Amino acid sequence: MKIERSNLIESVRSLKKEGFDYLLKVTAVDYVDHLTAIYFLRNLSKSVDLELEFDMDPADLWVPTIMEHHPSADWYEREMYEMFGIEIRGRKAKRLLLEKWDGKGSPLRKNFKWAEPYESM
Amino acid sequence: MAITRINVGPIHPSTHGVLRLVVDLDGDTIVKVEPHIGFLHRGVEKLVETRMYMQSPPYMEKIDYIAPMSVDELYVSAVEKALGIDVKERAQYVRVALLELQRIASHLLWLGGICNDLGQLFTAFMWVFRDRDMVLKLLETATGQRMFYVNMRLGGMVRELPEGFDEKTLEFLDYMEDRMKEYESFIEKNPIFIQRMKGIGVLSRKDAKEYGVTGHVLRGSGITYDVRKDNPYYVYKDLGFSPKHQTQGDNLARYRVRMMEIRESIRLVREALTRMPGGSALGMPIKLISPNAKNRTVAVSRENPRGEEMMYMVADPQRPYRLSIRAPTFINLAALNHMAQGSKFADLFSILGTLDLMMADVDR
Amino acid sequence: MDEIDHNSEEFMTAKAEMDRLVAGSLKGKEARPNVVFSNLSELTKAFSGSMVKWSRNNSLWPLQFGLACCSIELMNFGSARVDAERKGYLLFRATPRQCDVMLVAGWVTKSVVPELKRMYEQMAKPRYVIAFGECATCGGPWWESYNIVKGIDQVLPVDVYVAGCPPRPENLFGALMKLQKKLGGKIED
Repeated sequence: MKIERSNLIESVRSLKKEGFDYLLKVTAVDYVDHLTAIYFLRNLSKSVDLELEFDMDPADLWVPTIMEHHPSADWYEREMYEMFGIEIRGRKAKRLLLEKWDGKGSPLRKNFKWAEPYESM
Repeated sequence: MAITRINVGPIHPSTHGVLRLVVDLDGDTIVKVEPHIGFLHRGVEKLVETRMYMQSPPYMEKIDYIAPMSVDELYVSAVEKALGIDVKERAQYVRVALLELQRIASHLLWLGGICNDLGQLFTAFMWVFRDRDMVLKLLETATGQRMFYVNMRLGGMVRELPEGFDEKTLEFLDYMEDRMKEYESFIEKNPIFIQRMKGIGVLSRKDAKEYGVTGHVLRGSGITYDVRKDNPYYVYKDLGFSPKHQTQGDNLARYRVRMMEIRESIRLVREALTRMPGGSALGMPIKLISPNAKNRTVAVSRENPRGEEMMYMVADPQRPYRLSIRAPTFINLAALNHMAQGSKFADLFSILGTLDLMMADVDR
Repeated sequence: MDEIDHNSEEFMTAKAEMDRLVAGSLKGKEARPNVVFSNLSELTKAFSGSMVKWSRNNSLWPLQFGLACCSIELMNFGSARVDAERKGYLLFRATPRQCDVMLVAGWVTKSVVPELKRMYEQMAKPRYVIAFGECATCGGPWWESYNIVKGIDQVLPVDVYVAGCPPRPENLFGALMKLQKKLGGKIED
């Protein structure tokens, strides 16, 4: 289901009232000229899955947090920030999820520079 | 309220893997637990983008290394759905039989691990490894390798089941049922075990939904959602599968759900082997694949022994453009903070044990 | 007190006189080595040296450093079917202070390297390292990843490498026997 970024919190809230109260995954895909963020929701009693997608410009990467409706979005959003560089707005601390990785850049973007063929410690 | 901060370091004598926990204690009571992960991160999702479709199963198997065939089968199913390939019927039965055998082995290792963590110091561990070795021997006759069997092709398997597999497996299943009675007799009637597991790490039904936990953690809190029943794949409808659940939401409930799951798997393997139709179970050889992706984006989910695992794949002609893996242990670990608040420090390890972590799955 | 100038002439002449006096008084009183005691001490040193070596070689206690998939085969190695205890590889301890051999099993990422080094330095000498599995030997299937150390021999000195993904538990048994032969001085071809 395609929505706009500004409708995200509204849609999540109204869907939660209808029974879609289980968040499966928050992920993103990097098509080179735009990025798509995808949210998977599920209705446990009726076993129905739903996908919410919206597109973002690479120059304007941010996403509002949905943590107040779904506390499980915490770690998913942090992982998305770490891997893609998408800023999460509305949270107090943005601690990186992964431990002590000398990460320069966001690995899952297509413009991430791979390591050289032999990289010694 | 003076808070002490303790670091339960990355290297510790346990079966789950490399995990750092920073625990805030007030006396002996836990105030906050913060897991630091990422010690096993190797960027699988990025590596898969550089390989062709059927070059990736070894990567997938090392994500969950106690039950490797489950993640491999999930990946192959996602590719099959993207390319529009159907699985032969006999191959479906073979896959179900091997997957459920794998589930027995994985749950047995969990059992040994939790008894080890509670201080039993290798008794149950040794018993468990003896039984698990029998399963690995059976799988070795079927596939050729003890641990990382790359046994799936698009549309079926690599090789047929050998002769005599049925008899040996049925013999093993009879032996295993007696063994389960032995396990329950010495574990569940132990008052120390019951005291350490009852009423600890309670997760209520509402919290389980909000924190997004899966698998036996969800079913131990009263919600019966099992992918094999609610979104069935292969032949689970015909085999008469019913998910098990408990309502208390504490450690003992999650333990009981898993023991019931082992029994259910024993029954499922027996049914699958007796009902298997004739024919061939071989899949397509790799050279004959002409990959024109029928569906561009695919989402497939399976019931891993650890929970529900889902793959979302954006399919290009020769290789996946993006593969996003939803790991069940990732989100189970995120609920640890909520589950461990208010309990004593020594209970932290029994809670960690029942969550059944697998750090290679968390970090991917 | 004034400092003594060790290079002045007075000191040199005084030193020469003192040496002459001491040499003269010791004439005829050289210490004769006690034959019995010196032979016995040599004997016990040789005997205890080899006995210490024999007992060390046959009870190498491993430090479990199971990081990833190879740790499952490590657990298989220590349990009932391929028994590690019958050759002396008892007690998979988790503290490095009581262990001789470090079995690194699993892929090593850049975040784990400080812990690896710290564990190695905490072991008491003589200490040995076995690289178990392909990921510890050379980086394994994760050769192109951005977060993996390509083989632990970039960080630690390794004695024995075991190939396989994962190696069978019998392979690890053979590797430990090879280590024992290496310590005993003879390496089999």
